Amino acid sequence: MPRYAMVIDQERCVGCQSCTVACKSEWDVPNGSARTKVRQTGTVGQFPQLSKAFYVSQCNQCDHPTCVPACPTGATYQDANGLVRIHRDLCIGCGACVAACPYGARYINSSLGKADKCDFCASRVEKGLQPACVATCPAHAKIFGDLEDRSSDVFRMVYRESARRMETTTIAIGPNVYYRGKPEHAELVLVSFAPVPPRTIAPAAIWSSVLNKFIYLAVGATFLGQAVAFFHQLSTGEKQFDE
Amino acid sequence: MDSKITRRGFLKTTSLAAAVTGATAGSSAELRPPAWRGDTRVQQIATNCEMCFWRCGVMAEVADGKVVKLQGNPDHPLTKGQLCARGNAGTQLLYDPDRLKYPMIRAGERGSGRFKRVSWDQALDLFASRLTELKKKYGPESVAFFPHGVGAGFFGTLMRAFGTPNSAEPAFAQCRGPRDVGYQLTFGRPVNSPEPVDLEEAKAIVLIGSHIGENVFTSQVTNFITGLQRGAKLIVVDPRFSTAASKADYWLPIKPGTDIALLLAWMNVLIAESLYDKQYIEQYATGMKELEAHVQGFTPEWAEPITEISASRIRETAHVMADVMPAVAVHPGRHVTWYGDDTQRARAMAILTGLLGAYGRKGGMFLPTKLKQGRIPLPPFPDSERGRVDGGGTTYPLATEESQGLTQGLVQATLSAKPYPIKGWIIYGQNVLESIPQRQNTLQAIEQLEFLAVVDVLPVEQTQYADLVLPEATYLERYDPPAFVTTAKRPYVAIRQPAIEPMYESKPGWWIAKQMASRLGLAGYFPWRDPDDHLARLLAPLSVNMTELKSLGAVSFEGHPYIEDRTEQDGPLFPTQSGKIELSSSVLQDLHFDPLPRFTAPDSPPPGFMRLIYGRAPMHSFARTENNSWLNELMAENQVWIHTSSAAKYDVRNGYKVVLENQDGVRSAPLIARVTEEIRSDCVYMVHGFGSRSKALSKAYKKGASDAELITRVAVDPIMGATGMRVNFVRVLAADRS
Repeated sequence: MPRYAMVIDQERCVGCQSCTVACKSEWDVPNGSARTKVRQTGTVGQFPQLSKAFYVSQCNQCDHPTCVPACPTGATYQDANGLVRIHRDLCIGCGACVAACPYGARYINSSLGKADKCDFCASRVEKGLQPACVATCPAHAKIFGDLEDRSSDVFRMVYRESARRMETTTIAIGPNVYYRGKPEHAELVLVSFAPVPPRTIAPAAIWSSVLNKFIYLAVGATFLGQAVAFFHQLSTGEKQFDE
Repeated sequence: MDSKITRRGFLKTTSLAAAVTGATAGSSAELRPPAWRGDTRVQQIATNCEMCFWRCGVMAEVADGKVVKLQGNPDHPLTKGQLCARGNAGTQLLYDPDRLKYPMIRAGERGSGRFKRVSWDQALDLFASRLTELKKKYGPESVAFFPHGVGAGFFGTLMRAFGTPNSAEPAFAQCRGPRDVGYQLTFGRPVNSPEPVDLEEAKAIVLIGSHIGENVFTSQVTNFITGLQRGAKLIVVDPRFSTAASKADYWLPIKPGTDIALLLAWMNVLIAESLYDKQYIEQYATGMKELEAHVQGFTPEWAEPITEISASRIRETAHVMADVMPAVAVHPGRHVTWYGDDTQRARAMAILTGLLGAYGRKGGMFLPTKLKQGRIPLPPFPDSERGRVDGGGTTYPLATEESQGLTQGLVQATLSAKPYPIKGWIIYGQNVLESIPQRQNTLQAIEQLEFLAVVDVLPVEQTQYADLVLPEATYLERYDPPAFVTTAKRPYVAIRQPAIEPMYESKPGWWIAKQMASRLGLAGYFPWRDPDDHLARLLAPLSVNMTELKSLGAVSFEGHPYIEDRTEQDGPLFPTQSGKIELSSSVLQDLHFDPLPRFTAPDSPPPGFMRLIYGRAPMHSFARTENNSWLNELMAENQVWIHTSSAAKYDVRNGYKVVLENQDGVRSAPLIARVTEEIRSDCVYMVHGFGSRSKALSKAYKKGASDAELITRVAVDPIMGATGMRVNFVRVLAADRS
């Protein structure tokens, strides 16, 4: 069973956003949301002794994902190969998983009303293709592969070289996106974009958000039903009743 | 427009039959078996991108007559499957609801934006009758042509056949011209595009103002990063802490406008310390003695107070280059029209490249390889006795017949009616109000025209002033002339072919030009039946398999990139007058210009002002992409970079809205201040292309500010007529004060 991981090479990345748009195009991500994004860190130092770097963020497919237990319906789950995925049919769009992610990697897809996020382009990978962001990157800054494959680039970078996880002493849930590059650049990223403690949404809030939807739905359906009956009656007249 | 039919939506549908029909629109391409999703309904069309002008290989995924996704074409010999943000967002140009949809004629005042929709027949009849009228009244030369892009080739033929020599593209006098002239004078060849800089094999890379990374051409980024990863030392000369500077071993934050002094000092070190490639220079170059005498006084100590880079730093970086020569890639740059002495700066960069023995050598600059190209025999073009109006070849001797002309010269001639009146403009794919400096002149010139026709995809500002607007099909809906690319290690031919039928009533440029030719009695200049026939004739001598080419999108051939690979057929190594690298230029000498580059200080900012510099962001191309839904989401407006200390003087904090006022009192639209340490305190920086004044561009209208509006002064290069644009100064006003 493969164990997928991605390495982001910060020395290669030029922050061009090719990955962001390729992903958007691949997954029809609505404007206002992103499965992956590139942000520039703050600049440290004083002119002309300066340093800055880019941070590519996306779902980390964590070993111990906080989003999975946060999901009240079991829609978010972890595959045997480690990928964290979403059963869209089960998702109620409550947002508990979005709040639970320390990396801000999830969003509610406004056109689906459901949670969404990167899954390393699982459907492409199944066909032997690279994830869309990896395939398009002009700087070859994203390296995707199988940590069980000892000949893979990701294996070398993670186990033989110094690619590191974006973790802090308090938030260490085993992210499978690794960062390689100069230590000061990794530090910069941690300073600018450190993972935040997962937030929980009280179960009551979740259910009320869902219940609200059901209530609207029920009210809407009742109204619609009555309207249909009314117009039906209007057009067919009383005869209907004679049959 | 139904843009809601998404790919995944489509994949769920069960209808198989309809899918394939739209895919082969206008071409008989043999389609590759669809690979991507293993879905037989999705067809792939190989073409090349036009979100900028690098022409990366694209595979357009087509389903149900819609382009559902663009991917990089892994078989493209140069770009190998990579696609940038803009390339990935090409569908958002294709499906931009603001597109020009129908031919239109003006129905209100110029600039009012009121138009009447007409049929193509009406539009083309009007176009032809107006041109004929102008020809009768003022002669054919009274019509000026402003082209841009590959598709413009067909219109170029039309205009020459019509009888006007007045054509100019900003690619020359507002962009690459000085560089191409400077390298041609030195090595006998222009640099061309893509630039044959051997970044991937370089052991040292020198960027002078080039901001690779923010300026994204996919394969150039790939090669740049590959070179760095293989250990190349990076020297970046830039007043701003660019992305490239953030990756540099040596960032030299030079005082703007003093690059020639730095280049002369580098040469001084290489020669004084006897570090240059003597064998190479002896074998291939002339003018070494003159150069040696010329640079003798230009020591690093001389350059230090000029450039504000320490002498030791200058010496150290010269040593870095000498240590690894000839594998030193001194990038010639691309947009190089800065200070009016730009040809001489390009010469200095070329001479440095020569001293390092890097031209034609691995890791330096590689040599182009010729490609045979079929000729389509045409009747002779009419000669114009009156000659060009832009000063090319006369006032500016090295803006020659082969160059792409001087746009600002056409504007000036329109304004002055000298040497003769210009009464009609035809604009194809060029954005004259953004690309030609001194916009006030351009607007005034437009006011004086009797006829203005614009062929474009989007309703950019100039369309609002046009008498006739012709909607062109986008690059994904049309055939364009094939690209014969010689400046790649393996030269190649790449095609642009339609992925789908043109939307609305838009038409491809070739069709419009051919129709116009028939109406003007010039059909003989378009002797090919259709794009396939045109392509076949151009490719005839290469004996490529057409089916294969249409399926792969590009075919490459053996190249001879380095001196040791060259054969007889490649022609002379250095096709200059002397057949050698001309360190001292005989051509410039004959024309009474400095045969060796000299430093002259540009004007300093007046008290309280800072120099305005500008550049690019990776998600936008010039002023072409700001209305693109996905790219607009990534960057909707530009900001002005101001150094912390300058911002404090103006009482401006990060995130404030400010207005820039230039030395002539011209004010910008409000834009956000980015207060930062990442720029020198004597200049400010903004990304070019924003602040559109076209209401018809719903996403780009009034977003950010236009640097072009602030460029009211230019410094014209006396050698070839380029307009140096970094000679404007601005001060910062609070937005509410404007």
